[in-house]
Parts: sequence; C-alpha cells; structure tokens
Amino acid sequence: MRTTGVRDRGTLTKRVARGRDAFWLYMGLAIALYALELFGSGVPRQVRGYANDLATPVLSLLNEPIQILQSGLERVAGVGDIYLENQELRDENDKLRQWREAAQRLIVENERLRQILKVPEREVPPLATAAVIGVGGGAFERSVLINAGSTENVDSNLPVVDELGLVGRTIEVGLMTTRVLLITDLNSRVPIRLERSGDVAIAEGLNEAFMRMRFLAVDSSVQIGDRVVTSGHGGLFPPDIPVAEVTGIIEDFIELTPISSLSTLDFVRVMDYRPLPPEQDPEPSSEEAGGQ
Amino acid sequence: MAGPRPAQNLLGAAGLMPVVVSMGLAMLMLLPLGSGLADYATPHLVMISCFYWLSWRPLLMPYGACTVLGLVLDLWLGAPLGINTIMLLLTRLFVLNQLKYYKDKNRGVYWGVFSVMAFGFFTLSWLLTSAVAGQFLAADTVFLQWLVTSFFYAPIAFVLGRLRRWVL
Repeated sequence: MRTTGVRDRGTLTKRVARGRDAFWLYMGLAIALYALELFGSGVPRQVRGYANDLATPVLSLLNEPIQILQSGLERVAGVGDIYLENQELRDENDKLRQWREAAQRLIVENERLRQILKVPEREVPPLATAAVIGVGGGAFERSVLINAGSTENVDSNLPVVDELGLVGRTIEVGLMTTRVLLITDLNSRVPIRLERSGDVAIAEGLNEAFMRMRFLAVDSSVQIGDRVVTSGHGGLFPPDIPVAEVTGIIEDFIELTPISSLSTLDFVRVMDYRPLPPEQDPEPSSEEAGGQ
Repeated sequence: MAGPRPAQNLLGAAGLMPVVVSMGLAMLMLLPLGSGLADYATPHLVMISCFYWLSWRPLLMPYGACTVLGLVLDLWLGAPLGINTIMLLLTRLFVLNQLKYYKDKNRGVYWGVFSVMAFGFFTLSWLLTSAVAGQFLAADTVFLQWLVTSFFYAPIAFVLGRLRRWVL
C-alpha cells in the first residue's frame, strides 16, 4: 500500500515535470514566432495563403447553409414591405430609363472624342468574381477571405470592388483563396480625390467602420455628403472608383464612410489592374558586367 | 514500470473530440455571418472551447494541441503569428493551476473565472498586437470582443457539456 502510494507520487511528479517542460518548449516556439513578426519580416505571405487553402473546402461547405439561411431571412423580412418597395422600384425604374438614354448618348460621344484625341482606354477588366467565404475574425484586422486564388491568375496588390465601390486589395494569395485587406483596416491607405472639387488626399483605415481623410490641402473645401473616388496615384488602384462619402467633419478630423457594403459582403470582383511592372533586381551596369 | 495510460488511449478516437471540436470552432470563427458586429467582434470560440475542455478533461487538450490550434488560428485570421498560441498555452497553464479553486462549483463560477481570465488574455493580446503595429491600437474593439466572448461562454459551454456527456 505504502509502496503504491510512493510510486503514484513519483509518477505524478514526473508527469508534472514533463508538463512543465512541454509548456516551456511550446511557449518558446510561440515567442520565437512572435519575435519573427516583431523584429523580422514575418511569415511569408505565401505560407499564410496556402494555410487558408486548407480551410477552403470546409468553409465553402459551411458557407452554403449560411447563405441559404441569410437569403431566406431576407425574403421573410422583405415580405412586409413588398408593396411599398414595388412602388418605389417602379418610380426608380422610370428615372433610370431616362438616365440610360442619356448615358448611352454620352458613351457614344465619349468614345468618338477618345478616338479623335487618341486617349487610351480606361476600362479595367475584371480578373475574377469570387464569393466571400471567410472573415478576419480578430479584433485587430479587417480582412476577408475570397474563393479565388493563383489558379484564377489572382496576384497580390490587385484592387477588389463590389457592385457599389472599392472594397480593398489582395494581400495573401493561395491556390484557391486570397485574403483581401479591407479599406477600413489600420494598414490601408487609399489615394483619393474629392469628386466635387478634384482635391486629392489619402483615405486612412482605422480598424473601425469608418475611415479618416488625411493630407487634404488646407485651402480645400470639403462638405458633408461629398463623395470621394480613387485618384489613381500610387499605381495600386485605378482612378475614379467610388470609395466613400464624407459623413463628419470635426475640426481637422474628416470622417469617411465606405460606399461599398463592407459588413455584408457576399460577392466581390478582383480587377485586372497592373499598371506597374513587377519589382525586379536592378540589372548590373555595363562596368560591373564587364568586370565579372 | 510504466505509469497509467493516457486518457487518449483509454477513450480511443473519442479522445480526439475536444481537439476536433475546437478546430471546428476555429473554422466557425472564420465564417462570414453577415452582420457588421459579427465580423468585427466574433467571440473567441476556441478560447471558450479550450477553457471548457481543460476544466473537464485536461488530459485531452495537451500543450501540443493548444499550440497547433493557436498556430492555425493565427494563420487563418491573419493575426501576428504566435499571439493566439501564447493565449491558448496560457489558458492551459491558468486552468491547470487554478482548477482546484473552482472545480465542482456551479456554472456561474466557471463563467466568472473564464471572464476574468479572458480579460487578462485579451489585454495581453492587445499589447502584443500593438507592439507589432508600432502604436497603441484602439482598445474598444478588444473590449467589445471580450464582452462578446464572455457572453457566449454560457451557451457554448452548455452545448459542449451536452456533447461531453454524450460522447465521453
């Protein structure tokens, strides 16, 4: 009996020691990875891209019932307002018909003028249309995961839009998935232009539902309700994509609310916009080449 | 002479349930649930799951499993690598050291202990992420995520409890 008790205590002590060793081993690993993020270049984006690929089949599978449930709920919620909505849609349809005729006239005229002046095309073709299958679940990042990757020729730093406006840009590309950094993320900076006045500025993400306009010229006039579009500076985003609307001005803090439906994204379009050639190592000069 | 066999061996495949369930919850954290609040303040379901299983079946959630879960979460959520791993490893350390004080108490006590622990770990994750970003990030979103996580502990623990009684 006493021998058994001593043996049990010995086993327990060994187990506790093993547990302590395991804790420090794994904690050391975790701290090393964190230090890599803190002081080094972090984990290659490609690794994160491929890790997302692993979750894709399950996420796509789980996403199906959620989409069905959401559309079902939207339908149920919409039944009560269907008569009023129908009336509004008829009125809107009449107005849109008039706008369509005007737009068609302008397109033809614009095209003719472009041909006369030899102005290059500004239309940016879509590269892929993708469904949002995941979100960045942390409190510190604003990103979504879409089900299009390098197999659809998606690359990093391509603009992503929805039917209303700019959503963000691609950052981590896997085979079947891509992470999109939303324009509201803290690390997002979008060169913008005020549609009314043409003044340029930067839309800065704040990890909130809204953004902040910065670096606007002092003599610029900005009003609540002004729309801002991409300016095309910097080469990441094509010009004239709707980005946000000015919704608040408190001294030098200009609040922008994104036009795109960032909180209810379901489908997005990745645009094939690559105005800058990929970065390459500088070619050796003729002297260096000759010397070798 | 060899010591007693680990619980995983005694339970067979069922012993993997805590890790598999936690992995499933990690995927659930990624799903776009369609509301702004859900996108920005998803409850930390994996922390809830780890705390629950460590309180009831600590041997089925070893340090290695906590590390893998944390690593996968960091990669999937796009968070700085190591942060969720550190949080889950500390969760295990906390539960193993404090379990003797709240074991066999009522569910409210478990809930309270979890909330207090989660507050500390969310604060730690805020500090670690701020250090990577090079500036103090807004604390209100972390506070919101802590509130949502604390609130969701009770229903998630209830479901996990049913599952534990059914399988283990």
